[in-house]
Amino acid sequence: MTTISSPLLLKAARPRNRYVAGLLTWRGVSGLVLVGTVALAGLLAPWLTDADPNAQGPQALATPSGAHPLGTDDIGRDLLSRILHGILTDLSIILTAVPAGALAGAALALLAGTSRAADLVVQRLFDLVLSFPGLILGLAVTAILGPGRWPVVIIIALAEVPYFGRQLRAGVLVQQEREYALAARVGGASRARVLLRHVLPNAVDPLIVQGAVALSVGVFIEGALSFLGLGVRPPEPTLGSLISGSVAYLDTNPVLAAAPLAVTTALVLGFTLLAEALNRGARG
Amino acid sequence: MRTFLFKRLPSALAVLVAASFTVFLMLRLIPGDPATTLAGPDASPATVAAIRARLGLDAPLAEQYLHWLGQVLSGDLGPSYAIGGQVSELIGDGLAATFQLTVAALLLVVLLAVPTALYAVSARRRGLAGVLRALTTGALAVPPFVTGVVLVLVFAVGLGLLPAGGHASLFDAPDLAVQYLALPALCLALPSAAILARYLQDGLERALGEDYVRTATALGVSRRRILWRHALPNALPPAVTVLGLQIGQLIAGAVVVERIFAWPGLGQLIEQGVSRRDYPVVQDLLLLVVVGYVAVQLLTDLLYSWLDPRVRWE
Repeated sequence: MTTISSPLLLKAARPRNRYVAGLLTWRGVSGLVLVGTVALAGLLAPWLTDADPNAQGPQALATPSGAHPLGTDDIGRDLLSRILHGILTDLSIILTAVPAGALAGAALALLAGTSRAADLVVQRLFDLVLSFPGLILGLAVTAILGPGRWPVVIIIALAEVPYFGRQLRAGVLVQQEREYALAARVGGASRARVLLRHVLPNAVDPLIVQGAVALSVGVFIEGALSFLGLGVRPPEPTLGSLISGSVAYLDTNPVLAAAPLAVTTALVLGFTLLAEALNRGARG
Repeated sequence: MRTFLFKRLPSALAVLVAASFTVFLMLRLIPGDPATTLAGPDASPATVAAIRARLGLDAPLAEQYLHWLGQVLSGDLGPSYAIGGQVSELIGDGLAATFQLTVAALLLVVLLAVPTALYAVSARRRGLAGVLRALTTGALAVPPFVTGVVLVLVFAVGLGLLPAGGHASLFDAPDLAVQYLALPALCLALPSAAILARYLQDGLERALGEDYVRTATALGVSRRRILWRHALPNALPPAVTVLGLQIGQLIAGAVVVERIFAWPGLGQLIEQGVSRRDYPVVQDLLLLVVVGYVAVQLLTDLLYSWLDPRVRWE
């Protein structure tokens, strides 16, 4: 009996295991290590450093020393503390914005699944958002709301909506035509129930890969907005604002740029490796 | 070709009208109006009302929208609110600088991507293809502002080869202009070059696995000729679409790159417009970018149908 049932069981249990299998490759593990290390450093910020990230000290642009392991910035703030707290700011932004964008995109994709007319409207909506290149969208939103943390969250979420939405819409369209969905309809289940209880759980998997990509895009967008002076308001540190603030001192104090550059690169590279690992895992 | 245009033009126009409407309404949704900002905190209500009348902001929204559309179609965009000067001139100057940067970057994208893809496919060494793939992954994973700062650190601060930022006229001092152009163009080009190289490499590998390549090989055609005359023409159309989409990314990416390298283009202008709440400048620039984006997509589709005749009659 077991010889017959085990392949069947394996097949049924496959989709989720595939993602786990993807994570257990060298790409997945190094992605997890990179993201994990950076995130942990941010989360442990209060224990790793005593310095207040926004407190200005008497020594501006100090070289690394015992009191300031990475030195200080142009107005005497401890660089290590600013980087660790900057990681926290970035993480809190992308971990709010990406789920929000995914939820909004998923809601629209489900709406598109209800009728042909709704599908057409939702698709045009995605096209419209996509017809504004990402940063232009950001400029438009900050033109309305002014710079700040929440506009950054909104911009990232908004930029991700069509990507999540299109992916889920494609999945919903395929799954809706499958026998089990038609059978549920014939069995008397309402359209909404079939969509939510049967189609959605089977179409939602590809969003995992999209999520990892979106997290790294979130770091991109936060940094770009900081560079334009349209990001999180100073003095609160972000990875982007630390790098953009260092540009004026590149020739005299390169460590001011090098440290946040290394952290940002590690973080986005980690997300990219995770996305690739999950994607390869999903394709088997 | 004509049927193709007839099919694509209406939807492109619809996107443009929708975009112009969105841009216009977005700026009208801003709490507080530009007249109050311009008049300053101590202005009397009469002064604010006078400024509002002068800017035409007291007219109904529909009338303002039509007036703006008329301005856009006539090419005379009127004066800017806060930056000073005519909007058309401001945009013209910025456009010239951004155009230089984008064209240089586009050239670099093709010059970097096509040889890379051809080399990766023809070298047939697994190690080399792997290294190239890792490099393209890196170029894609790292944000442009990181690349930009690293480029400045290495080439300007470390090696002292190129200036860290600035701009020179291409006509007055061509050699200086190229030096100023090199780093920002490279910074802008790298991610797009990585994407194009990847698509082209995949396309070439797929084409090389086709039956007609096997037939050509059997007939004794040289590998070089197969690659250039048989595989490349078949791998090119999808790559052109990718390149077209990348032009939009280049325009958007230019906003940040211009900031790092102090390049006086549209990016700087749009940033000034937003921070000083100069609505005509922002409104016209956003529309211009969308028009450019839609036009590039149309051109890409046309070019595609020229490269791949099967698309023409769809």
